Amino acid sequence: MNIVVAMKQIPDLQQIRIRNRQPVLDNVPLTMGDIDKNALEAGVNLRDEHGGKVIVLSAGNEDVEDTVKEALAAGADEAFLVIDDSLDGAESGTIANVLATSVKQIEEPSLILFGEGSGDNYSGQVGSRVAEILNLPQVSFASSIEIKENQAVVTRVLEDGDEIVQVDLPAVVSVLANINEPRIPSVTQILKAGRKPMEVLELGELKVDAGKDLVITESNLAPETERKKVVVKSVDELIQALTTEGYVGR
Amino acid sequence: MDFNLSKEQLLIQRMARDFAEKYIEPVAEQIDQENKIPEDILKGLAELDLFGIPFPEEYGGADGGYDGYVLAMEQIGKVSGGIAMTLSAHSLALSALSVFGTEEQKQKYMVPGCKGTDILSFAFTEPATGSDPKQITTTAVKDGDHYIINGTKRFISNANWPGAMILFATDDESGRPSGFIVDKNCEGYSISEPWDKMGMHGGMLLDVYMKDVKVPAKNLLAGPGMGYPILQLGISYGKVGVSSTALGGMVAAFEEGLKYAKEKMHRDKPISRFQSIQLKIADMAIKCEAARWLTYRLGYLANDVKDPRQFAKEAALTKTFVCETAVEVTRLAMDIHGSYGLMNDYKVSRMWRDVIIGPQIEGVADMQKMIVAGLTLAD
Repeated sequence: MNIVVAMKQIPDLQQIRIRNRQPVLDNVPLTMGDIDKNALEAGVNLRDEHGGKVIVLSAGNEDVEDTVKEALAAGADEAFLVIDDSLDGAESGTIANVLATSVKQIEEPSLILFGEGSGDNYSGQVGSRVAEILNLPQVSFASSIEIKENQAVVTRVLEDGDEIVQVDLPAVVSVLANINEPRIPSVTQILKAGRKPMEVLELGELKVDAGKDLVITESNLAPETERKKVVVKSVDELIQALTTEGYVGR
Repeated sequence: MDFNLSKEQLLIQRMARDFAEKYIEPVAEQIDQENKIPEDILKGLAELDLFGIPFPEEYGGADGGYDGYVLAMEQIGKVSGGIAMTLSAHSLALSALSVFGTEEQKQKYMVPGCKGTDILSFAFTEPATGSDPKQITTTAVKDGDHYIINGTKRFISNANWPGAMILFATDDESGRPSGFIVDKNCEGYSISEPWDKMGMHGGMLLDVYMKDVKVPAKNLLAGPGMGYPILQLGISYGKVGVSSTALGGMVAAFEEGLKYAKEKMHRDKPISRFQSIQLKIADMAIKCEAARWLTYRLGYLANDVKDPRQFAKEAALTKTFVCETAVEVTRLAMDIHGSYGLMNDYKVSRMWRDVIIGPQIEGVADMQKMIVAGLTLAD
């Protein structure tokens, strides 16, 4: 059973500083998204149980060739990468097109796993879009996945309870962060990651219309508001001030 | 000149940090109080190859180089000086075996060591001497195809764990110190209770008593009378681990001091806004950065030692600077805490008890300066 795990290269969020209300991304190491690591762990566990291969799929700038070593160290068998500078920060529809076209080139994937949202923008759209493009069933918010013959039995966590869904394979499943605890790779696994098979395609080779739309995050911080300062010296003055402002005595 | 870490080095650093923060940090206080490393932590360290990072794969190691070793040890040392001390002493013995051991010795003793099923020791110090090979009184008398060893060793790390011990004794043939590989659970081997040292708890120092310990002659390391070269080079490698441990301790103290300076309020302002505190923060930052790069450089140099004398000098000067600086930085972090820094409720007090040990172990600081001066004058 071949399992594709889609992973997004993002800046290491723990090392981003904010200056002038903007994230400073210069020299911030790149990593794979946190929930993507849960998706990978789920894929690796299923492979260990049922056999087959785990193929990491990622699209981004040329740094992704280095960043994907994290996933190869953490148990993936192979990587399939699409490289182009324009993919760095591309919007969800573009990335979904690229990933869906890539999946078609991977040998008989039974399961395509996503994290529920990316570590940076968390739009949570790409998995659903890929399922739609490939016309595959999709299950979201997965807290467990079991494979039974040619079906996946997935527990979904919803606001008012859990839902157990049975779905034919191949299928797209997006997982929650609490589905598992991602493993920490050993030194040996880290050092051998770079020697695992890696198929790297330029975007042009994939023959897909990637579009040119970018997501630009101006700021996720709440807007600053001017606050009025009123200094009082007694409770009487406080009541007077609140009455004047219209907060009491209305 | 490129000071950037490779992706693999960054991943080794992150692996050790993740393990330290996720699994060691929650029990760091318990380790300090009980002077014992929990079994599942030792198992986790072994699974991540942290018992054999720099050693070749054919002997069970991870082939991660001493540069990978310093990065991982710094992260472990940040959270638990005792665990880092255990790994450092173990790696020191493995380094000596790796350089001086025969193929048979390496296969037999390095493989379980690198895999973490054995934890190794390096036993030179005795009640009457810590650094002078001429003063050791432990004896090895050749008896057919064995040596009979008698003597007492002091402050020996990991002497309580199963595995090999690289032990120094004056052999009766050469009349000089020789190195022997002693199996720690052999007949005639016994240990004291652990010394009740002030810090680095979890890393145990014990005395070792050898009464008519019978060691096969094939366990002689590098030939009769080769004790001094083994000691000199082995201890130099040991300083890579001790420096990394001290670096981790100082970085942890720096971060703790910085955090406190930002949180502690005085006259409605965090104390980090006061210039006297800022000067301390600057001093800590400067010292940490200097120590970090000196330590990383030593790891790089340890990967390819061409001249053991030159390496001994580099190791001695790095160990001296980093361990002494760790004390200075932690003292500054304590000063930022004021009286609270003296309280065991505050982490910085444990950090102080850990880092104060650094200048004294693996060759006391003054002895290291004599090595540096001697080799500098001889150059």
